[in-house]
Amino acid sequence: MDLEAKPAPNRTPLQPKDYKSDLKPIWCPGCGDFGVLQALYRALSAIGREPHEIAFISGIGCSSRIPGYTTAYGFNSVHGRALPIAQGVKLARPELLVVVAGGDGDGFSIGGGHVAHAIRRNIDLTYLVMDNQVYGLTKGQLSPTAPKGLHTVTSPFGSLEEPINPLLYVLAYGAGFVAQATPADMPGMAALIEEALRYPGFSFVNIQSPCVTFGEEEQQLRAHKAKMKPLASLGHDAANQLAALDLARAYGKELYTGVFYRNPAPPPTYDALVQARQAELIKTRRPRERALDAYLQK
Amino acid sequence: MSDDLILGMAGSGGDGVVSAGESLLAAASSEGYHAMMTKSFGSQIRGGESSCRVRVSCRRILNPGGVLDVAVALNWEDFFRFGAELPLGSSTLVIHEEKAGPPPETPATRPLSRALIFSVPITEMAKKAAGTDKAKTSVVLGLVSGWLGIPKEALLRGLKKKFGGKGQGLFEANERALASGFEYAQTHPLAEPRVLSRPAAATGPKLLCDGNDMCAAGAIFSGVEFFGGYPITPSTEVMQILSRELLQHGGVVLQAEDEISGIGAALGASYAGRKSMTATSGPGMSLKTEILGLATIAELPLVILNVQRGGPSTGIPTKPEQADLFQAAFSAHGDVVRPVLAPTTVADTFSTTVEAFNLAERYQTPVIILSDQEIAQRKETVDLIDTSRFTLERRLVPTGAELDGYQRFRLTESGISPLSHPGMAGGNYLGAGIEHNEHGDPTASGAMHERMNEKRFKKLEPLKQRKDLFEVLGNGNAPYALVSWGSTAGVTREAFELARARGLDVKLFVPTLVYPVAEQVYQDFFASVRAGLVVELSYQGQLYRILRMFVDVPKGVIPFARSGANPFQPTEVLEKLTELTRAES
Repeated sequence: MDLEAKPAPNRTPLQPKDYKSDLKPIWCPGCGDFGVLQALYRALSAIGREPHEIAFISGIGCSSRIPGYTTAYGFNSVHGRALPIAQGVKLARPELLVVVAGGDGDGFSIGGGHVAHAIRRNIDLTYLVMDNQVYGLTKGQLSPTAPKGLHTVTSPFGSLEEPINPLLYVLAYGAGFVAQATPADMPGMAALIEEALRYPGFSFVNIQSPCVTFGEEEQQLRAHKAKMKPLASLGHDAANQLAALDLARAYGKELYTGVFYRNPAPPPTYDALVQARQAELIKTRRPRERALDAYLQK
Repeated sequence: MSDDLILGMAGSGGDGVVSAGESLLAAASSEGYHAMMTKSFGSQIRGGESSCRVRVSCRRILNPGGVLDVAVALNWEDFFRFGAELPLGSSTLVIHEEKAGPPPETPATRPLSRALIFSVPITEMAKKAAGTDKAKTSVVLGLVSGWLGIPKEALLRGLKKKFGGKGQGLFEANERALASGFEYAQTHPLAEPRVLSRPAAATGPKLLCDGNDMCAAGAIFSGVEFFGGYPITPSTEVMQILSRELLQHGGVVLQAEDEISGIGAALGASYAGRKSMTATSGPGMSLKTEILGLATIAELPLVILNVQRGGPSTGIPTKPEQADLFQAAFSAHGDVVRPVLAPTTVADTFSTTVEAFNLAERYQTPVIILSDQEIAQRKETVDLIDTSRFTLERRLVPTGAELDGYQRFRLTESGISPLSHPGMAGGNYLGAGIEHNEHGDPTASGAMHERMNEKRFKKLEPLKQRKDLFEVLGNGNAPYALVSWGSTAGVTREAFELARARGLDVKLFVPTLVYPVAEQVYQDFFASVRAGLVVELSYQGQLYRILRMFVDVPKGVIPFARSGANPFQPTEVLEKLTELTRAES
């Protein structure tokens, strides 16, 4: 896919560097999130929306620092609440491109309750989870996607609980676009983020983003390169939801990359439905002043 | 003749006691009386006990009143569940269902006079007149009309409205039930007539509404564009009204999956440049607290309504209490100050809401409206609102020049810096819960943290000079004082009038701005004061305690406070004050 395509007419096409801010990332050298950031610059420039037309909302964690490294409007909010805030932004200004980012703890532990509702509401936004199976910012505790038995500072004898399967989770709630990426395949990741951004509705990309400081050996880029399996190469039909669910069950065992599921007939988004209803009601509406008729002196 | 009537009624859930109260309220209002109704329930969804108090007066009403002039008991067990909410006295006219038997001997019924107790076969009369015991409360309305002189025609108009749509038969049945009650009253006259005087000349059209109606109306008037919330008693009506209205005007209401998401979405909408609001009660407020902190540090306007109920936790969700003041003022991580405004009547809930939106927009801060169950759900006659006294404010946005090298959190003289929003070219910035420099970049610098804290506190300082946010009445040099807030202010205002009528040199202080504490305004007020009461419905006396933190409260000023669901009566406040002045002199 040509990522630099589709410039808006009469405008210098935006380059990836136009989305890069002056702020220097706090991430450890070699962190997978650098790759995500590069891929995102590329995807955003491919879409070509001006930075001020983009609202980039995140929660708390290493990966949630990412909005600050772009020139878009950013909001580095509180732990686990990026999705509620992002939905408010999108409903308030549907013309914006809304991107949400966070880690696996932010999205599937403290903020886990919001994911299902964002999916069923189907507000047009893209949710990028940088999944590293560990809490990095707080220095190495057990995360909700960490494999059972993992030894961490809060599970010194090995964890006793099963991990959450983010792919199965979002597919089961009916997300219209579900993909998985790794910085081990940069062009593939950029293309997937771009496709997610273009999908009309709630789109989700689980990004296996290695933590170089607290992550396991098999979670590093070298291991990813060795074991990743592009879904396209398996002949997977991304329109087949059941096949997607089946493949998603291998989370934690296999590293499938690419689109698990893309709804071939995306239903209208919540924000579009709200706008349609507003337009419909406006035909018969009571003007704002009349809503107060009963209350006000004339 | 009397010019003020307080009627209390209790029965089982299905008896229609509240609905009868509403009919009485509507009739009184249409006849030009001032009228007010509070209702009270057990927490059951259906069934259980329910009660209402209706106060009808020729004068402006300040509170639901104390001892009942008329008590209607469809059964005693339900009646007594409401305890202090339905107090009986020696001049209370008691109407009880014959089958329920006479009032049982209890401390509550001790003051009653035998001659004023009427045992009426209400159920039997309903069955006979209407063919169903469901018409019981129509019989009661007839009795009330006959004995107290509330015009029958006005009550019938109300019944017509209520039952008209459900078939002529139903209306006629209730009309007959009402007539039989009326006739009973005619044939059993009171030894001393209790007819209510006619109201003075018409005082102009009035509204019948409650505090939640007024809050929603105030929000619509202020131009609210987004509401995010989650259902919780007793604030839900605000979300319901806005759900009906906002979409019609291009706004959005999101019923979120939880309290946190409700305020999160509202804050997101504010970040996107919209006037935004959420509503809740105490437990929901606890859940919203983290995002309140975010709104403070990100300096985003947001209005939060907390309709207080009895707490902690589920507490008594259907009854009023004023015990969330500490929470409103202090529930924060970090150094935080945010305005807390408390309405004191149904009517001023409108102006308080408009003020909340204005403060939020002007100071780029969350503002809490601290209402309570009584004001929020009390229905009363209110004058139509004169909106000419309001101006609406909108956040300061950056000018073209300010967008050149835009600094979202620029340190200014006032502490207020222009605020852009996504979609505004050149205004791009990083909003954050993390401490930041003027540009918005994250920082861990202690020096910058100090300056930003200073900015966030400084911008709210002018609020404390706003004399219009405080009601001060009485002689400025008075040695005695009454201080009160929220719904309790209505009781205290009447006690103040009673005390003045009795010749006590007392003054009154009612803040709309309950936090931050306007030290100087209080200090000036207390300068002449030797003794007084801070009257409020919380076990700890929360306003009193907060004042002690910030103001040199005279030693003689003491709290008069008790738990929610134990409403104060003006006469007890008066007695307590009188006692205080005697001890003091």
